[in-house]
Amino acid sequence: MTSLRKQWPVAIMAVLLALTFAAITQRLKSAPRQMVVVEMQVALPLFVQVFLAMGDRYLAANIAAIRALVVSTEKMKPEDYAILGKVQKDVSWLNPAHEDNYYIAFAILPQYGEVDATQTILARASRVRFFDYQPAFFYGFNQWYYKHDPAGAAAWMREAALKLPDPDQQLTMQNMAARWADKAQDTELAIRIVEAMVKEARRKDFRVYLEQRVARLRQLQQLKMAAESYHERFGAPVPNLQELVNSGILPALPQDPFGFGFGFDRQGNIALRTSPPPS
Amino acid sequence: MWQFMLSAGRAGLRSRSIQSILILGALLMGVAYLSASFSPRQPQTVALDVGLSGLRITLILFSLFWVQELVAREIERRTVLFSLTYPVPRGRYIVGRYLGVLGLLALAALLLGLLLWVVVLGLGKGYAQGFSVVLGLPYWSTVAGLWIDAAVVAAFALWVSTFSTVPMLPLALGLAFAVGGKSLGAVAEYLARGADGDQALMRLAPVIEAIQWVLPDLSRLDFRAWPMYDLAPASQAVELGLLMAASYVALLLTLAVMTFTCRDFE
Repeated sequence: MTSLRKQWPVAIMAVLLALTFAAITQRLKSAPRQMVVVEMQVALPLFVQVFLAMGDRYLAANIAAIRALVVSTEKMKPEDYAILGKVQKDVSWLNPAHEDNYYIAFAILPQYGEVDATQTILARASRVRFFDYQPAFFYGFNQWYYKHDPAGAAAWMREAALKLPDPDQQLTMQNMAARWADKAQDTELAIRIVEAMVKEARRKDFRVYLEQRVARLRQLQQLKMAAESYHERFGAPVPNLQELVNSGILPALPQDPFGFGFGFDRQGNIALRTSPPPS
Repeated sequence: MWQFMLSAGRAGLRSRSIQSILILGALLMGVAYLSASFSPRQPQTVALDVGLSGLRITLILFSLFWVQELVAREIERRTVLFSLTYPVPRGRYIVGRYLGVLGLLALAALLLGLLLWVVVLGLGKGYAQGFSVVLGLPYWSTVAGLWIDAAVVAAFALWVSTFSTVPMLPLALGLAFAVGGKSLGAVAEYLARGADGDQALMRLAPVIEAIQWVLPDLSRLDFRAWPMYDLAPASQAVELGLLMAASYVALLLTLAVMTFTCRDFE
Protein backbone atom coordinates (compact mmCIF):
# COMPACT_ATOMS: atom_id res chain seq x y z
CA MET A 1 0.00 0.00 0.00
CA THR A 2 2.79 2.35 0.91
CA SER A 3 4.52 1.83 -2.37
CA LEU A 4 1.27 2.45 -4.28
CA ARG A 5 0.72 5.68 -2.43
CA LYS A 6 4.18 6.78 -3.40
CA GLN A 7 3.44 6.11 -7.03
CA TRP A 8 0.22 8.13 -7.29
CA PRO A 9 1.64 10.59 -9.85
CA VAL A 10 2.39 7.65 -12.19
CA ALA A 11 -1.07 6.19 -11.60
CA ILE A 12 -2.68 9.54 -12.43
CA MET A 13 -0.57 9.70 -15.57
CA ALA A 14 -1.75 6.19 -16.53
CA VAL A 15 -5.39 7.14 -16.03
CA LEU A 16 -4.93 10.31 -18.10
CA LEU A 17 -3.30 8.34 -20.89
CA ALA A 18 -6.13 5.78 -20.83
CA LEU A 19 -8.70 8.58 -21.08
CA THR A 20 -6.76 10.19 -23.93
CA PHE A 21 -6.64 6.85 -25.77
CA ALA A 22 -10.39 6.29 -25.29
CA ALA A 23 -11.22 9.83 -26.50
CA ILE A 24 -9.00 9.51 -29.58
CA THR A 25 -10.48 6.11 -30.42
CA GLN A 26 -13.98 7.60 -30.36
CA ARG A 27 -12.93 10.52 -32.57
CA LEU A 28 -11.16 8.17 -34.95
CA LYS A 29 -14.33 6.15 -35.55
CA SER A 30 -15.97 9.11 -37.25
CA ALA A 31 -12.89 10.06 -39.30
CA PRO A 32 -13.24 9.06 -42.99
CA ARG A 33 -11.20 6.09 -44.12
CA GLN A 34 -8.97 6.33 -47.15
CA MET A 35 -10.60 4.32 -49.90
CA VAL A 36 -8.42 1.52 -51.17
CA VAL A 37 -9.21 0.84 -54.81
CA VAL A 38 -8.21 -2.69 -55.65
CA GLU A 39 -8.77 -2.51 -59.38
CA MET A 40 -6.14 -1.85 -62.01
CA GLN A 41 -4.56 1.52 -61.30
CA VAL A 42 -0.87 0.76 -61.25
CA ALA A 43 1.47 -1.08 -63.57
CA LEU A 44 4.91 -1.50 -62.04
CA PRO A 45 7.98 -1.16 -64.27
CA LEU A 46 9.28 -4.48 -65.58
CA PHE A 47 12.54 -4.19 -63.63
CA VAL A 48 10.66 -3.73 -60.37
CA GLN A 49 8.40 -6.70 -61.08
CA VAL A 50 11.40 -8.96 -61.73
CA PHE A 51 13.27 -7.80 -58.61
CA LEU A 52 10.18 -8.22 -56.43
CA ALA A 53 9.94 -11.82 -57.64
CA MET A 54 13.55 -12.44 -56.51
CA GLY A 55 14.75 -12.16 -60.09
CA ASP A 56 12.42 -14.92 -61.27
CA ARG A 57 10.69 -13.65 -64.45
CA TYR A 58 8.28 -16.61 -64.50
CA LEU A 59 7.13 -15.85 -60.97
CA ALA A 60 6.75 -12.16 -61.86
CA ALA A 61 4.64 -13.21 -64.86
CA ASN A 62 2.42 -15.42 -62.71
CA ILE A 63 1.87 -12.73 -60.09
CA ALA A 64 0.85 -10.20 -62.76
CA ALA A 65 -1.30 -12.76 -64.61
CA ILE A 66 -3.17 -13.69 -61.44
CA ARG A 67 -3.66 -9.96 -60.79
CA ALA A 68 -5.18 -9.60 -64.25
CA LEU A 69 -7.34 -12.69 -63.74
CA VAL A 70 -8.87 -11.66 -60.43
CA VAL A 71 -9.60 -8.08 -61.43
CA SER A 72 -13.26 -7.16 -61.33
CA THR A 73 -13.90 -5.64 -64.77
CA GLU A 74 -17.37 -4.35 -63.96
CA LYS A 75 -15.82 -1.92 -61.46
CA MET A 76 -13.15 -0.69 -63.83
CA LYS A 77 -13.17 2.73 -65.48
CA PRO A 78 -12.23 3.08 -69.17
CA GLU A 79 -8.76 4.42 -68.28
CA ASP A 80 -8.09 1.37 -66.08
CA TYR A 81 -8.15 -0.88 -69.15
CA ALA A 82 -5.01 0.82 -70.46
CA ILE A 83 -3.29 -0.25 -67.20
CA LEU A 84 -4.69 -3.77 -67.56
CA GLY A 85 -3.34 -3.83 -71.12
CA LYS A 86 0.09 -2.74 -69.84
CA VAL A 87 0.08 -5.37 -67.08
CA GLN A 88 -0.86 -8.13 -69.53
CA LYS A 89 1.68 -6.91 -72.08
CA ASP A 90 4.32 -7.14 -69.35
CA VAL A 91 3.22 -10.72 -68.61
CA SER A 92 3.62 -11.57 -72.29
CA TRP A 93 7.15 -10.16 -72.20
CA LEU A 94 8.07 -12.03 -69.03
CA ASN A 95 6.55 -15.30 -70.24
CA PRO A 96 5.17 -15.04 -73.80
CA ALA A 97 3.86 -18.62 -73.67
CA HIS A 98 1.46 -17.90 -70.77
CA GLU A 99 -1.83 -19.38 -71.99
CA ASP A 100 -4.22 -17.71 -69.53
CA ASN A 101 -2.69 -14.34 -70.31
CA TYR A 102 -3.27 -14.36 -74.06
CA TYR A 103 -6.71 -15.93 -73.62
CA ILE A 104 -8.08 -13.35 -71.18
CA ALA A 105 -6.38 -10.53 -73.10
CA PHE A 106 -8.34 -11.57 -76.18
CA ALA A 107 -11.54 -11.96 -74.16
CA ILE A 108 -11.40 -8.58 -72.41
CA LEU A 109 -9.07 -5.98 -73.85
CA PRO A 110 -10.15 -5.40 -77.50
CA GLN A 111 -13.73 -4.49 -76.62
CA TYR A 112 -12.38 -1.70 -74.39
CA GLY A 113 -10.13 -0.21 -77.05
CA GLU A 114 -6.91 -2.01 -76.14
CA VAL A 115 -6.58 -3.73 -79.50
CA ASP A 116 -2.90 -2.89 -80.00
CA ALA A 117 -1.93 -4.31 -76.60
CA THR A 118 -3.93 -7.47 -77.35
CA GLN A 119 -2.27 -7.89 -80.72
CA THR A 120 1.17 -7.55 -79.15
CA ILE A 121 0.30 -10.22 -76.57
CA LEU A 122 -1.16 -12.55 -79.22
CA ALA A 123 1.77 -12.06 -81.61
CA ARG A 124 4.28 -12.89 -78.86
CA ALA A 125 2.26 -15.98 -77.83
CA SER A 126 1.95 -17.14 -81.43
CA ARG A 127 5.72 -16.87 -81.97
CA VAL A 128 6.53 -19.07 -78.97
CA ARG A 129 3.56 -21.44 -78.93
CA PHE A 130 4.24 -23.08 -82.28
CA PHE A 131 1.94 -25.95 -81.27
CA ASP A 132 -1.09 -23.73 -80.52
CA TYR A 133 -3.26 -22.31 -83.32
CA GLN A 134 -5.34 -20.06 -81.09
CA PRO A 135 -3.10 -16.97 -80.67
CA ALA A 136 -2.75 -16.64 -84.46
CA PHE A 137 -6.48 -17.29 -84.93
CA PHE A 138 -7.41 -14.63 -82.35
CA TYR A 139 -4.94 -12.21 -83.91
CA GLY A 140 -6.52 -12.77 -87.31
CA PHE A 141 -9.99 -12.24 -85.89
CA ASN A 142 -8.97 -8.93 -84.28
CA GLN A 143 -7.36 -7.79 -87.51
CA TRP A 144 -10.62 -8.54 -89.30
CA TYR A 145 -13.13 -7.29 -86.77
CA TYR A 146 -11.41 -4.37 -85.05
CA LYS A 147 -8.73 -3.28 -87.51
CA HIS A 148 -10.81 -3.83 -90.68
CA ASP A 149 -7.78 -5.36 -92.37
CA PRO A 150 -8.99 -8.44 -94.29
CA ALA A 151 -5.63 -9.05 -95.97
CA GLY A 152 -3.76 -9.06 -92.64
CA ALA A 153 -6.47 -11.19 -91.06
CA ALA A 154 -6.24 -13.73 -93.87
CA ALA A 155 -2.46 -13.98 -93.47
CA TRP A 156 -2.81 -14.73 -89.72
CA MET A 157 -5.58 -17.25 -90.36
CA ARG A 158 -3.29 -19.08 -92.73
CA GLU A 159 -0.62 -19.15 -90.03
CA ALA A 160 -3.17 -20.49 -87.55
CA ALA A 161 -4.29 -23.17 -90.04
CA LEU A 162 -0.72 -24.48 -90.31
CA LYS A 163 -0.71 -25.13 -86.56
CA LEU A 164 -3.86 -27.26 -86.60
CA PRO A 165 -3.21 -31.01 -86.32
CA ASP A 166 -6.33 -32.13 -88.24
CA PRO A 167 -6.14 -31.69 -92.08
CA ASP A 168 -9.91 -31.11 -92.31
CA GLN A 169 -9.75 -28.34 -89.72
CA GLN A 170 -6.78 -26.87 -91.58
CA LEU A 171 -8.87 -26.84 -94.72
CA THR A 172 -11.79 -25.09 -93.00
CA MET A 173 -9.54 -22.39 -91.64
CA GLN A 174 -7.71 -21.90 -94.93
CA ASN A 175 -11.10 -21.53 -96.61
CA MET A 176 -12.01 -18.85 -94.07
CA ALA A 177 -8.70 -17.11 -94.81
CA ALA A 178 -9.46 -17.17 -98.54
CA ARG A 179 -12.92 -15.70 -97.97
CA TRP A 180 -11.51 -12.94 -95.82
CA ALA A 181 -8.88 -12.19 -98.43
CA ASP A 182 -11.73 -11.62 -100.91
CA LYS A 183 -12.89 -8.72 -98.78
CA ALA A 184 -9.64 -6.80 -99.09
CA GLN A 185 -10.07 -3.41 -100.77
CA ASP A 186 -6.84 -3.95 -102.63
CA THR A 187 -7.94 -6.61 -105.11
CA GLU A 188 -4.42 -7.18 -106.45
CA LEU A 189 -3.22 -7.91 -102.89
CA ALA A 190 -6.14 -10.30 -102.33
CA ILE A 191 -5.24 -12.12 -105.55
CA ARG A 192 -1.62 -12.49 -104.45
CA ILE A 193 -2.67 -13.85 -101.04
CA VAL A 194 -4.96 -16.50 -102.51
CA GLU A 195 -2.38 -17.41 -105.16
CA ALA A 196 0.15 -17.98 -102.36
CA MET A 197 -2.41 -20.25 -100.72
CA VAL A 198 -2.79 -22.20 -103.95
CA LYS A 199 0.93 -22.93 -103.89
CA GLU A 200 0.74 -24.13 -100.27
CA ALA A 201 -2.41 -26.26 -100.72
CA ARG A 202 -1.66 -29.99 -100.44
CA ARG A 203 -5.07 -31.38 -101.40
CA LYS A 204 -5.95 -31.18 -105.06
CA ASP A 205 -9.65 -30.42 -104.56
CA PHE A 206 -8.82 -27.52 -102.26
CA ARG A 207 -6.24 -26.22 -104.73
CA VAL A 208 -8.89 -26.23 -107.48
CA TYR A 209 -11.28 -24.40 -105.17
CA LEU A 210 -8.66 -21.74 -104.44
CA GLU A 211 -7.87 -21.37 -108.15
CA GLN A 212 -11.54 -20.62 -108.72
CA ARG A 213 -11.31 -17.97 -106.03
CA VAL A 214 -8.33 -16.42 -107.83
CA ALA A 215 -10.29 -16.45 -111.10
CA ARG A 216 -13.20 -14.78 -109.34
CA LEU A 217 -10.95 -12.07 -107.91
CA ARG A 218 -9.47 -11.44 -111.34
CA GLN A 219 -12.99 -11.00 -112.71
CA LEU A 220 -13.70 -8.54 -109.92
CA GLN A 221 -10.54 -6.64 -110.79
CA GLN A 222 -11.61 -6.55 -114.45
CA LEU A 223 -15.04 -5.18 -113.47
CA LYS A 224 -13.51 -2.50 -111.23
CA MET A 225 -11.21 -1.33 -114.01
CA ALA A 226 -14.13 -1.23 -116.43
CA ALA A 227 -16.15 0.81 -113.92
CA GLU A 228 -13.29 3.31 -113.67
CA SER A 229 -13.22 3.63 -117.47
CA TYR A 230 -16.97 4.19 -117.45
CA HIS A 231 -16.62 6.93 -114.84
CA GLU A 232 -13.89 8.66 -116.85
CA ARG A 233 -15.90 8.48 -120.10
CA PHE A 234 -19.35 9.47 -118.81
CA GLY A 235 -18.45 11.47 -115.71
CA ALA A 236 -20.76 9.41 -113.47
CA PRO A 237 -20.52 6.08 -111.68
CA VAL A 238 -21.86 3.05 -113.50
CA PRO A 239 -25.53 2.52 -112.47
CA ASN A 240 -25.50 -1.26 -112.97
CA LEU A 241 -23.11 -3.88 -114.27
CA GLN A 242 -25.00 -4.53 -117.52
CA GLU A 243 -24.30 -0.89 -118.46
CA LEU A 244 -20.59 -1.80 -118.77
CA VAL A 245 -21.55 -4.13 -121.63
CA ASN A 246 -24.13 -1.77 -123.17
CA SER A 247 -21.58 1.05 -123.29
CA GLY A 248 -19.11 -1.22 -125.13
CA ILE A 249 -16.45 -1.18 -122.39
CA LEU A 250 -16.80 -4.91 -121.76
CA PRO A 251 -17.74 -7.49 -124.43
CA ALA A 252 -19.69 -9.52 -121.83
CA LEU A 253 -20.06 -9.80 -118.08
CA PRO A 254 -17.63 -12.31 -116.55
CA GLN A 255 -19.08 -15.67 -115.50
CA ASP A 256 -18.41 -16.21 -111.79
CA PRO A 257 -17.21 -19.82 -111.32
CA PHE A 258 -19.18 -19.97 -108.03
CA GLY A 259 -22.36 -18.72 -109.70
CA PHE A 260 -22.92 -15.96 -107.12
CA GLY A 261 -21.94 -13.13 -109.44
CA PHE A 262 -21.07 -9.55 -108.61
CA GLY A 263 -22.94 -6.64 -107.10
CA PHE A 264 -22.45 -3.33 -105.30
CA ASP A 265 -21.57 -2.84 -101.62
CA ARG A 266 -23.03 -0.12 -99.37
CA GLN A 267 -20.43 2.37 -100.53
CA GLY A 268 -21.37 1.77 -104.17
CA ASN A 269 -18.21 -0.17 -105.01
CA ILE A 270 -18.33 -3.35 -107.09
CA ALA A 271 -18.00 -6.34 -104.80
CA LEU A 272 -18.21 -10.13 -104.79
CA ARG A 273 -21.62 -11.54 -103.95
CA THR A 274 -21.59 -14.09 -101.13
CA SER A 275 -24.86 -15.80 -102.08
CA PRO A 276 -26.68 -16.58 -105.32
CA PRO A 277 -28.68 -13.68 -106.80
CA PRO A 278 -32.46 -13.77 -106.13
CA SER A 279 -34.21 -15.55 -108.98
CA MET B 1 38.31 -33.72 -47.40
CA TRP B 2 35.74 -36.50 -47.44
CA GLN B 3 35.63 -36.40 -43.65
CA PHE B 4 34.81 -32.69 -43.77
CA MET B 5 32.13 -33.40 -46.38
CA LEU B 6 30.58 -36.23 -44.37
CA SER B 7 30.65 -34.21 -41.15
CA ALA B 8 28.90 -31.37 -43.00
CA GLY B 9 26.27 -33.81 -44.24
CA ARG B 10 25.77 -35.28 -40.77
CA ALA B 11 25.59 -31.86 -39.17
CA GLY B 12 23.09 -30.74 -41.78
CA LEU B 13 20.92 -33.80 -41.26
CA ARG B 14 21.16 -33.57 -37.46
CA SER B 15 20.00 -29.98 -37.53
CA ARG B 16 16.36 -29.28 -37.94
CA SER B 17 16.84 -28.57 -41.59
CA ILE B 18 15.15 -31.79 -42.75
CA GLN B 19 12.06 -30.86 -40.74
CA SER B 20 12.20 -27.42 -42.28
CA ILE B 21 12.37 -29.00 -45.73
CA LEU B 22 9.24 -30.98 -45.04
CA ILE B 23 7.39 -27.95 -43.66
CA LEU B 24 8.50 -25.79 -46.58
CA GLY B 25 7.61 -28.62 -48.94
CA ALA B 26 4.10 -28.79 -47.51
CA LEU B 27 3.79 -25.01 -47.88
CA LEU B 28 5.09 -25.26 -51.43
CA MET B 29 2.47 -27.88 -52.25
CA GLY B 30 -0.23 -25.66 -50.80
CA VAL B 31 0.87 -22.56 -52.71
CA ALA B 32 1.26 -24.48 -55.98
CA TYR B 33 -2.13 -26.14 -55.49
CA LEU B 34 -3.85 -22.83 -54.70
CA SER B 35 -2.21 -21.02 -57.60
CA ALA B 36 -3.67 -23.64 -59.95
CA SER B 37 -7.15 -22.57 -58.93
CA PHE B 38 -6.43 -19.12 -60.43
CA SER B 39 -5.93 -20.59 -63.87
CA PRO B 40 -8.97 -21.14 -66.09
CA ARG B 41 -7.16 -23.06 -68.83
CA GLN B 42 -3.82 -24.43 -67.61
CA PRO B 43 -3.98 -25.27 -63.87
CA GLN B 44 -1.22 -27.88 -64.06
CA THR B 45 1.12 -25.51 -65.91
CA VAL B 46 0.54 -22.68 -63.43
CA ALA B 47 0.98 -25.04 -60.44
CA LEU B 48 4.22 -26.33 -61.95
CA ASP B 49 5.41 -22.79 -62.73
CA VAL B 50 4.70 -21.42 -59.25
CA GLY B 51 6.00 -24.64 -57.67
CA LEU B 52 9.32 -24.36 -59.53
CA SER B 53 9.64 -20.73 -58.44
CA GLY B 54 9.00 -21.87 -54.85
CA LEU B 55 11.53 -24.66 -55.25
CA ARG B 56 14.16 -22.21 -56.46
CA ILE B 57 13.56 -19.79 -53.60
CA THR B 58 13.66 -22.65 -51.06
CA LEU B 59 16.89 -24.11 -52.45
CA ILE B 60 18.55 -20.68 -52.42
CA LEU B 61 17.51 -20.12 -48.80
CA PHE B 62 18.74 -23.57 -47.83
CA SER B 63 22.09 -23.08 -49.57
CA LEU B 64 22.64 -19.81 -47.70
CA PHE B 65 21.42 -21.29 -44.41
CA TRP B 66 23.71 -24.31 -44.66
CA VAL B 67 26.78 -22.28 -45.65
CA GLN B 68 26.03 -19.96 -42.74
CA GLU B 69 25.50 -22.87 -40.35
CA LEU B 70 28.36 -25.13 -41.45
CA VAL B 71 31.09 -22.61 -42.29
CA ALA B 72 30.38 -19.00 -41.31
CA ARG B 73 29.20 -19.84 -37.81
CA GLU B 74 32.12 -22.25 -37.21
CA ILE B 75 34.50 -19.43 -38.14
CA GLU B 76 32.63 -16.97 -35.96
CA ARG B 77 32.67 -19.26 -32.93
CA ARG B 78 36.25 -20.35 -33.65
CA THR B 79 35.15 -24.03 -33.58
CA VAL B 80 36.70 -24.20 -37.03
CA LEU B 81 40.07 -24.32 -35.27
CA PHE B 82 39.34 -27.90 -34.10
CA SER B 83 38.97 -28.98 -37.72
CA LEU B 84 42.11 -27.13 -38.73
CA THR B 85 44.22 -29.04 -36.20
CA TYR B 86 44.17 -32.03 -38.60
CA PRO B 87 47.36 -32.26 -40.66
CA VAL B 88 45.63 -31.44 -43.93
CA PRO B 89 45.63 -28.29 -46.05
CA ARG B 90 42.95 -25.75 -45.12
CA GLY B 91 41.57 -25.86 -48.65
CA ARG B 92 40.27 -29.38 -48.07
CA TYR B 93 38.07 -28.12 -45.28
CA ILE B 94 36.48 -25.56 -47.64
CA VAL B 95 36.00 -27.99 -50.53
CA GLY B 96 34.74 -30.72 -48.19
CA ARG B 97 32.21 -28.40 -46.62
CA TYR B 98 31.06 -27.23 -50.05
CA LEU B 99 30.55 -30.80 -51.24
CA GLY B 100 28.59 -31.50 -48.06
CA VAL B 101 26.29 -28.54 -48.77
CA LEU B 102 25.89 -29.75 -52.38
CA GLY B 103 24.80 -33.17 -51.12
CA LEU B 104 22.28 -31.65 -48.73
CA LEU B 105 20.95 -29.41 -51.51
CA ALA B 106 20.58 -32.42 -53.81
CA LEU B 107 18.56 -34.21 -51.13
CA ALA B 108 16.34 -31.16 -50.63
CA ALA B 109 15.86 -30.76 -54.40
CA LEU B 110 14.90 -34.41 -54.73
CA LEU B 111 12.41 -34.32 -51.84
CA LEU B 112 10.78 -31.04 -52.86
CA GLY B 113 10.83 -32.04 -56.52
CA LEU B 114 8.99 -35.25 -55.66
CA LEU B 115 6.39 -33.36 -53.63
CA LEU B 116 5.75 -30.90 -56.45
CA TRP B 117 5.60 -33.74 -58.95
CA VAL B 118 2.85 -35.42 -56.90
CA VAL B 119 0.87 -32.16 -56.64
CA VAL B 120 1.03 -31.46 -60.39
CA LEU B 121 0.12 -35.06 -61.24
CA GLY B 122 -2.81 -34.89 -58.82
CA LEU B 123 -4.14 -31.70 -60.42
CA GLY B 124 -4.21 -33.42 -63.80
CA LYS B 125 -6.92 -35.80 -62.62
CA GLY B 126 -9.55 -33.10 -62.22
CA TYR B 127 -9.18 -31.27 -65.55
CA ALA B 128 -7.42 -32.27 -68.76
CA GLN B 129 -5.88 -29.09 -70.13
CA GLY B 130 -5.40 -28.59 -73.87
CA PHE B 131 -1.61 -28.79 -73.75
CA SER B 132 -0.32 -31.08 -71.03
CA VAL B 133 2.84 -30.60 -68.98
CA VAL B 134 5.83 -32.94 -69.48
CA LEU B 135 6.81 -34.48 -66.16
CA GLY B 136 9.56 -36.88 -67.26
CA LEU B 137 13.10 -35.92 -68.25
CA PRO B 138 12.20 -32.24 -68.91
CA TYR B 139 10.88 -31.87 -65.35
CA TRP B 140 13.86 -33.49 -63.62
CA SER B 141 16.29 -31.59 -65.86
CA THR B 142 14.65 -28.37 -64.66
CA VAL B 143 14.98 -29.46 -61.02
CA ALA B 144 18.65 -30.28 -61.68
CA GLY B 145 19.11 -26.81 -63.23
CA LEU B 146 17.69 -25.19 -60.09
CA TRP B 147 20.03 -27.31 -57.96
CA ILE B 148 23.01 -26.05 -59.99
CA ASP B 149 21.67 -22.49 -59.58
CA ALA B 150 21.67 -22.99 -55.77
CA ALA B 151 25.15 -24.54 -55.98
CA VAL B 152 26.50 -21.35 -57.60
CA VAL B 153 24.89 -19.23 -54.88
CA ALA B 154 26.32 -21.55 -52.20
CA ALA B 155 29.82 -21.17 -53.70
CA PHE B 156 29.48 -17.38 -53.60
CA ALA B 157 28.27 -17.39 -49.98
CA LEU B 158 31.10 -19.75 -49.06
CA TRP B 159 33.68 -17.42 -50.59
CA VAL B 160 32.21 -14.43 -48.71
CA SER B 161 32.26 -16.40 -45.45
CA THR B 162 36.02 -17.00 -45.80
CA PHE B 163 36.83 -13.30 -45.44
CA SER B 164 33.77 -11.99 -43.64
CA THR B 165 34.09 -10.77 -40.09
CA VAL B 166 30.40 -9.87 -39.87
CA PRO B 167 28.27 -12.96 -39.08
CA MET B 168 25.30 -12.20 -41.39
CA LEU B 169 27.34 -10.90 -44.34
CA PRO B 170 27.43 -14.22 -46.32
CA LEU B 171 23.65 -14.52 -45.93
CA ALA B 172 22.91 -10.94 -47.00
CA LEU B 173 25.41 -10.80 -49.87
CA GLY B 174 24.42 -14.31 -50.98
CA LEU B 175 20.78 -13.29 -51.21
CA ALA B 176 21.65 -10.16 -53.18
CA PHE B 177 23.84 -12.28 -55.48
CA ALA B 178 20.99 -14.78 -56.04
CA VAL B 179 18.47 -12.05 -56.90
CA GLY B 180 20.94 -10.08 -59.03
CA GLY B 181 22.17 -13.12 -60.94
CA LYS B 182 18.65 -14.33 -61.65
CA SER B 183 17.42 -10.85 -62.71
CA LEU B 184 20.39 -10.26 -64.97
CA GLY B 185 19.04 -12.27 -67.91
CA ALA B 186 15.66 -10.51 -67.98
CA VAL B 187 17.21 -7.05 -67.58
CA ALA B 188 19.87 -7.64 -70.25
CA GLU B 189 17.26 -8.97 -72.69
CA TYR B 190 14.96 -6.01 -72.06
CA LEU B 191 17.78 -3.55 -72.74
CA ALA B 192 18.98 -5.51 -75.77
CA ARG B 193 15.50 -5.11 -77.28
CA GLY B 194 15.55 -1.36 -76.79
CA ALA B 195 13.72 -1.10 -73.41
CA ASP B 196 10.48 -0.10 -75.19
CA GLY B 197 12.19 3.09 -76.35
CA ASP B 198 12.99 4.29 -72.81
CA GLN B 199 16.18 6.30 -73.32
CA ALA B 200 16.76 6.79 -69.59
CA LEU B 201 16.87 3.03 -69.10
CA MET B 202 19.02 2.53 -72.16
CA ARG B 203 21.73 4.56 -70.44
CA LEU B 204 22.04 1.60 -68.05
CA ALA B 205 22.97 -0.75 -70.91
CA PRO B 206 26.77 -0.28 -70.56
CA VAL B 207 26.47 -0.82 -66.78
CA ILE B 208 24.55 -4.08 -67.27
CA GLU B 209 27.07 -5.09 -69.93
CA ALA B 210 29.91 -4.51 -67.44
CA ILE B 211 28.10 -6.37 -64.64
CA GLN B 212 27.92 -9.47 -66.83
CA TRP B 213 31.71 -9.74 -66.59
CA VAL B 214 31.50 -10.45 -62.86
CA LEU B 215 27.97 -11.73 -62.24
CA PRO B 216 26.76 -14.98 -63.84
CA ASP B 217 23.39 -15.01 -65.63
CA LEU B 218 21.60 -17.55 -63.42
CA SER B 219 18.45 -17.41 -65.55
CA ARG B 220 20.40 -19.53 -68.06
CA LEU B 221 20.00 -22.44 -65.62
CA ASP B 222 16.20 -22.23 -65.66
CA PHE B 223 14.78 -24.69 -68.20
CA ARG B 224 11.15 -24.63 -67.06
CA ALA B 225 9.69 -23.82 -70.48
CA TRP B 226 10.59 -27.42 -71.32
CA PRO B 227 8.27 -29.22 -68.84
CA MET B 228 5.65 -26.43 -68.99
CA TYR B 229 5.27 -26.04 -72.76
CA ASP B 230 7.46 -28.82 -74.18
CA LEU B 231 9.82 -26.14 -75.52
CA ALA B 232 13.19 -27.86 -75.27
CA PRO B 233 16.11 -25.43 -74.76
CA ALA B 234 18.81 -25.22 -77.42
CA SER B 235 21.53 -27.73 -76.56
CA GLN B 236 24.26 -25.13 -77.13
CA ALA B 237 22.63 -22.73 -74.65
CA VAL B 238 22.35 -25.53 -72.06
CA GLU B 239 25.95 -26.62 -72.51
CA LEU B 240 27.27 -23.07 -72.29
CA GLY B 241 25.07 -22.35 -69.26
CA LEU B 242 26.39 -25.41 -67.44
CA LEU B 243 29.97 -24.56 -68.38
CA MET B 244 29.46 -21.01 -67.13
CA ALA B 245 28.15 -22.32 -63.79
CA ALA B 246 30.94 -24.87 -63.41
CA SER B 247 33.71 -22.40 -64.21
CA TYR B 248 32.22 -19.77 -61.88
CA VAL B 249 31.90 -22.27 -59.02
CA ALA B 250 35.50 -23.43 -59.61
CA LEU B 251 36.70 -19.82 -59.59
CA LEU B 252 34.84 -19.00 -56.37
CA LEU B 253 36.09 -22.17 -54.66
CA THR B 254 39.66 -21.33 -55.68
CA LEU B 255 39.27 -17.81 -54.30
CA ALA B 256 37.68 -19.22 -51.13
CA VAL B 257 40.57 -21.66 -50.62
CA MET B 258 43.12 -18.85 -51.15
CA THR B 259 41.39 -16.48 -48.73
CA PHE B 260 40.81 -19.15 -46.11
CA THR B 261 44.42 -20.37 -46.31
CA CYS B 262 45.75 -16.85 -45.72
CA ARG B 263 43.26 -16.00 -42.98
CA ASP B 264 44.68 -15.38 -39.55
CA PHE B 265 42.40 -16.71 -36.81
CA GLU B 266 44.46 -15.38 -33.89
